[in-house]
Amino acid sequence: MTIEFTLNGKKVAIHTNPLRRLLDVLRDDFHLTGVKEGCGEGECGACSVLVDGMLSNSCIVPVGTLQGTDVLTIEGFRGTERYRVLEEAFAEAGSVQCGFCTPGFIMAAEALLRTNPEPGEDEIREAISGNLCRCTGYHMIVEGITRASRRGAALWK
Amino acid sequence: MAETISTPIHRFDAAEKAGGLASYIADIGFDGMLVAKTFRSSRPRARIRSIYLPELPEGYTVVDRRDVPGKNRVHMIEDDWPFFAEDCVNHVGEPILLIVGPERAEVLRLLSLIRIEYEDLEPVFSIEESIARRDSPIYGERNLIAEYALERGDPDRAFEKAARIFEDEYRTGLQEHVYLEPQGVTAVYGGGRITVYGSMQCPFYVKSALEQAFGWEGDRIRVVQVVTGGGFGGKEDYPSILAGHAAFAAYKTGRPVQLLLERSEDICCTTKRHPSIIRHRTALDGNGRITAMDVHIMLDGGAYAGLSSVVLQRAMFMAAGVYSIPSVRVRGEVLATNHVPLGAFRGFGAPQALFAVEMHLQSIAERLGKEPLDYKMSHVLRKGNTTITGGCVHHEVKLPEMVGLAEAMSGYRNKRVLSDRGKDGALQGIGISLFFHGCAFTGSGERDKIRAVVKLRKDQEGKIDILVSNTDIGQGAQTTLRKIVARTLGISSRDVRYDNPDTDRVPDSGPTVASRTVIIVGSLLEQAARDMKVRWNEPGEIEVTKRYKQPDYMRWDQERFQGDAYPTYSWGVNVVEVKVDPITYEVKVTGVWGIYDVGTPIDVKVVQGQIEGGMTQGLGYATVEVLEARAGKLLQGNLTDYLIPTSMDFPRMEVRLVESSYKQGPFGAKCVGELPFLGAAPALAAAVQHALHTTINRIPVTPEYLMEEAAR
Amino acid sequence: MEVAYKPASLEEALNIVEERNAIPLAGGTDLMVHRRSWSGLPPRFEHPVVFIGHLDALIGIELEDGILSIGAANTLTSILEHREIPPLLRASIRQIAGPAIRNRATIGGNICNASPAADTLPAFYVLGAEAVLVSTAGTRVVPIEKFIEGPGKTCLRRGELLSRIRVPADRHDIWFFRKVGTRAAYSCSKLSLAAVAHTEKGLAAEVRLALGSIAPTVIRSREAEAFMRAKTAGEIDTHLPRILEYYDSLIDPIDDQRSSAAYRRDASLRLVRYFIRNILLPHIEGTM
Repeated sequence: MTIEFTLNGKKVAIHTNPLRRLLDVLRDDFHLTGVKEGCGEGECGACSVLVDGMLSNSCIVPVGTLQGTDVLTIEGFRGTERYRVLEEAFAEAGSVQCGFCTPGFIMAAEALLRTNPEPGEDEIREAISGNLCRCTGYHMIVEGITRASRRGAALWK
Repeated sequence: MAETISTPIHRFDAAEKAGGLASYIADIGFDGMLVAKTFRSSRPRARIRSIYLPELPEGYTVVDRRDVPGKNRVHMIEDDWPFFAEDCVNHVGEPILLIVGPERAEVLRLLSLIRIEYEDLEPVFSIEESIARRDSPIYGERNLIAEYALERGDPDRAFEKAARIFEDEYRTGLQEHVYLEPQGVTAVYGGGRITVYGSMQCPFYVKSALEQAFGWEGDRIRVVQVVTGGGFGGKEDYPSILAGHAAFAAYKTGRPVQLLLERSEDICCTTKRHPSIIRHRTALDGNGRITAMDVHIMLDGGAYAGLSSVVLQRAMFMAAGVYSIPSVRVRGEVLATNHVPLGAFRGFGAPQALFAVEMHLQSIAERLGKEPLDYKMSHVLRKGNTTITGGCVHHEVKLPEMVGLAEAMSGYRNKRVLSDRGKDGALQGIGISLFFHGCAFTGSGERDKIRAVVKLRKDQEGKIDILVSNTDIGQGAQTTLRKIVARTLGISSRDVRYDNPDTDRVPDSGPTVASRTVIIVGSLLEQAARDMKVRWNEPGEIEVTKRYKQPDYMRWDQERFQGDAYPTYSWGVNVVEVKVDPITYEVKVTGVWGIYDVGTPIDVKVVQGQIEGGMTQGLGYATVEVLEARAGKLLQGNLTDYLIPTSMDFPRMEVRLVESSYKQGPFGAKCVGELPFLGAAPALAAAVQHALHTTINRIPVTPEYLMEEAAR
Repeated sequence: MEVAYKPASLEEALNIVEERNAIPLAGGTDLMVHRRSWSGLPPRFEHPVVFIGHLDALIGIELEDGILSIGAANTLTSILEHREIPPLLRASIRQIAGPAIRNRATIGGNICNASPAADTLPAFYVLGAEAVLVSTAGTRVVPIEKFIEGPGKTCLRRGELLSRIRVPADRHDIWFFRKVGTRAAYSCSKLSLAAVAHTEKGLAAEVRLALGSIAPTVIRSREAEAFMRAKTAGEIDTHLPRILEYYDSLIDPIDDQRSSAAYRRDASLRLVRYFIRNILLPHIEGTM
């Protein structure tokens, strides 16, 4: 099947088995290895991307459903000012330890802040409830997102 | 405020990790790389009668026991663990062979066609079964992987004279590490040498395992750690097996071979935390003071020895907890079963032992009608006291100060006596735990086994290279070790390089385990940096080498387990508050407080991260991380069914460090990696015990367990 | 023969389902997990897949004549965003998995999977939902409790698709939902209770209560519900043991990787008692 969609701001067309996982298309075909496989069953969020602005687990998205959509991975996001604010806040708050979950949390944070630029702690915790972290215990990640939302307030309004 | 070593800096690897730029093993490709997948035993215990292999197309290879050039045994403590099963399999998931080839679909297809004819043998699935089956053992002569005893004082006499004796039995369950990055390695054979790249904690463990497996003369094995997504002990021993598999395949095919585990495969087939049964028998005098403890520790070791003997040792040395007990007898056994071998996991035997002793003292106090905290404090060790192994508490014990802080922060005392039912009908409870962790390798391990060597090099441009074998697995070693060196030299930590260790480039400073990286290796680096500072203005390159020297005050007899088991201890106090739903018995944690003495924190944010992560993992161990084996197979075999805490499960934790400094540690630091895991489970169980006025003898504390207890 | 089809219309989709016995995939959040193969390889399906998540006919939520018609391919997130969704249904959906799953998982998928632990089914049972099934032969409407036949089994015939779920947009005085999972988020249900009730002249005019994850399908007890109708609080309270027995006889749980049969039975009966005494009875007159 031919599937045309926008990937990190660029129009792409792929000719492939439409049942292939978006995660594999991103990593194997486009060499975007920032998207990670932590479980392959949609449980850990390490593979998080945005599809039309909505947080999605790319390990369970068949590419055949992506016609006409806008897909954003960590590679596409990391050049933005919003990303820089998040990266700085994460580094300051100690949100990054082994780092395997981090790109997924960054994408979850972006998905949240797009619709809720000034989230309270409970809202942040709910927004990241589908992203697993084994190293931090989550609080320092919540702190990173909180700081980013305060500092970069204008960027997300 | 003046900047100190503890002042936090941005972690060196934070930016690249956040942006998805860090390359983990699954992100790295090699020209002509083949992929491998393991064919594993479906039986817990069986003789292999025959193996039917499908016809292999061009480019596809089988790798099995016949392809091990040297010894088909993974070098650990015993050499009983085979890379590939030989005549028998001893646990579900045991590797039998690999299929290696260029296309995944074809590798998978070929695997599905393999047929094994098994002759089932009678398996053993629990500690009790293993004991009952000593006459027809599955391992050695009596199903014993390890057995030790230690004794102090005169326990027999104390029990004879006892005014009261209390007995309790405790059980702890399996736990899976769930490092977010599943295990994996890639092996390359070229120029007569094997190089293994991988997600690992201990490159030199892998190297020595491969040296024995290949049996080659000369230095033909190279191991390189790549960015590792979490370890927690799970990547201490198991990578040696994966490395062997991939290396044999690379050697046989002449092509690079990638061997990555799927998550469900990682859960089912790699090492886990040892389940335990611990029996306490304690003698009290007429004043209610403990005069003797008799502790029997039984661990399920699984099918092979692995690291279980050392896990047992640490559990035994922790058996009396933070308490000064005049007479102690500890008997420890690791029983063999037909489970996946149990291995290293944050705490390494201490969580099991501390859970038991903390709950035991809790229960004794409650039966005596005393407040458990006061009862515990009346027995707590002090500087100068003798330890369970007859060693000395060489340094100040800050527990009284820490407990005072814990009480003030949590309101513990009031909450212990207040009405137990909240406004919403929930049953409220609060519990406290006191615990410690012996820093670095047990006993004479550092001096006799590891003999750590570090190098520090200054190049022509004045850039510094840290040359150690220790790995950053998320705990922040990349940052803390740089800080230690930089501050000692009086330079910016940005001018200090610290690459992921490559055994061709670095000396063996020991494994990244036992919370030893900062206290042992960091200390050696500090010393090296001091020497370098003196020599700073020498022309050209400068290289300083430092070797571990055991502190003069340490005395240890490994045969009799007598003396100082550890150079020093870090200490902790946890308070956990819970609400138990009286209808469903769900336990909700409503408050968590942790007070710690870890010496000087090398970076307060790094330490905070270890503490919060460790406590969360410990709370998971006590509640949601249910892992059960039935007939040798795990019931919870993927992340849908094996549940670790999410962001919604526990409230914000309040953490405080007390000031303390350990002279032999770099800048006064002690150890912090494992300590924060240890206290969460006993504090939570004590809180539930308080809320329900029942006895909690098991973790995890599940609603199912609580409902069973309530029904009794 | 294609591995997957992307029809341009519902009609085209129905033809494909009929002719090829194709497996409908909307969000795919269950299918892509259950059929997964090794990393890097596509999932395994024994029949061709037909993508239906994009079909306009299956999306959208309309309120007409007091009936809410929810397209089967609506994602859970899109349903949560709609104001007219009954609070009971909203509460059930909110506790499914996490945001990323809810963004793609569809209501049709949750229903047609027919898992005994399906989170939305208890709510649909008590709300009196109906499943609208379409095929090339026409349309039929089936009450939800007839649509679900057993674990993983629905009454869908070959060639049929669930196109919409119709829910009366009634307002109930009382609604209650409780899901018991292992952890606070992203947990399969061990047991759940959904209930609605409304009162008339101070007595219970209607009480509907469903239990999930404790039997092969969701259970409701028509006898218990009939018994509670038009009774005083005192009467209901006095006969509580009998009411609970009705449920006890229908509860048929299993031991599995999540929980035990004993716990499921015990906890669900206690929850039923809790709902009746603490949520329902305070609204009803007559001495307790």
